[in-house]
Amino acid sequence: MMHWFHRTVGRGQRLAAYAADELPPADRARAEADLLACPACRREVEAYRLVSGTLRTSERAVLAPDQAAAFWSGVERRIQRGATPTRPARPALRELFWDHPRLSLASAVAAVVLVLGLTLGQMGVWTVRPPGAPNGVEVVSVEAGEDASVMVFQAPGSSLKVIWVFEKPSS
Amino acid sequence: MGGPGGPPREPEDDRDLVDRARRGDREAFATLVRRHQDRAFNLAYQMVRNREDALDISQEAFARAYTSLPAFKGEASFTTWMHRIVVNLAIDNLRRRRRSGTTAYDDTRAAPQGGDAEPAAPDNPATILERKQVHALLARGIAQLPPAQRAVLVLREIEGLSYEEISRAVGCTLGTVMSRLFYARRKLQQVLRAHLGDLR
Repeated sequence: MMHWFHRTVGRGQRLAAYAADELPPADRARAEADLLACPACRREVEAYRLVSGTLRTSERAVLAPDQAAAFWSGVERRIQRGATPTRPARPALRELFWDHPRLSLASAVAAVVLVLGLTLGQMGVWTVRPPGAPNGVEVVSVEAGEDASVMVFQAPGSSLKVIWVFEKPSS
Repeated sequence: MGGPGGPPREPEDDRDLVDRARRGDREAFATLVRRHQDRAFNLAYQMVRNREDALDISQEAFARAYTSLPAFKGEASFTTWMHRIVVNLAIDNLRRRRRSGTTAYDDTRAAPQGGDAEPAAPDNPATILERKQVHALLARGIAQLPPAQRAVLVLREIEGLSYEEISRAVGCTLGTVMSRLFYARRKLQQVLRAHLGDLR
């Protein structure tokens, strides 16, 4: 018999959500019924709970008394020196792709299509650049920002540039 | 980021202190710092696992907050705003460490009953040993997480923030919070499951 956890998309997410008590009541009831018959799911839930339980009871770091007493004076020195105003941490490109798996897939597909197209062009299926130009495609530049990233590809010997803009969907 | 315990009389609201600090009252800001310094330090420590860096990050966070007071609109609480500044500085710290090739999570003694931490309840030796092993495994797993995932994990599992609060503190959508949290939890449970045979 196929269990609910396995039938639905995002099995891992549901198991993790169940373990963290974050499932809606209706889904929770179904999950509990299915867990009775799925030892693998139970082991996974147990591991998720061990993670959460351990982290939630982990020790809090506290300032030593002398550090606590001198804390404000340290802040004040920095203010007098002229602290930099706040700015958001810029996401690394790799993390951008972690957050948006579909973006990763789309860019991989785009790269394959581009390479395939240029290769077929080289083979004479169609002409994309003067004969004799070297094969392959180069990433000219990659710029990752808070809201979007831009990748520029170019075939060596060709003036053709392909610019991909990955925009973070607005909430 | 309220401090532990409470003063004998009604404490002045954070918002009032922020307003006074914006008008140039340095002592009002000092009160805010003293009120929130423990929590800011702990959050920084949970992110970078190094006391020296955590002290540097938490002090720098308050200094930047002071410099940025004119831009603070008060839409979020001072606590949420401080969470955001501390997390951003911690993420920058972790990325710098990764780029320079130094250990991203250099204190793997993150087990209960550490020297300067609040003591845990007494337990039998086998349980203590097992808990220390689990903590060490998790520390190693957390060290492998991308900084942005680590931030969401710490804010949710250690600081106990809601998804909405994390979304405001980190400055990303709820969907991104959920996604980062799932990948972080999955990674850690995989690390634990790979070693559970040694523990159970």
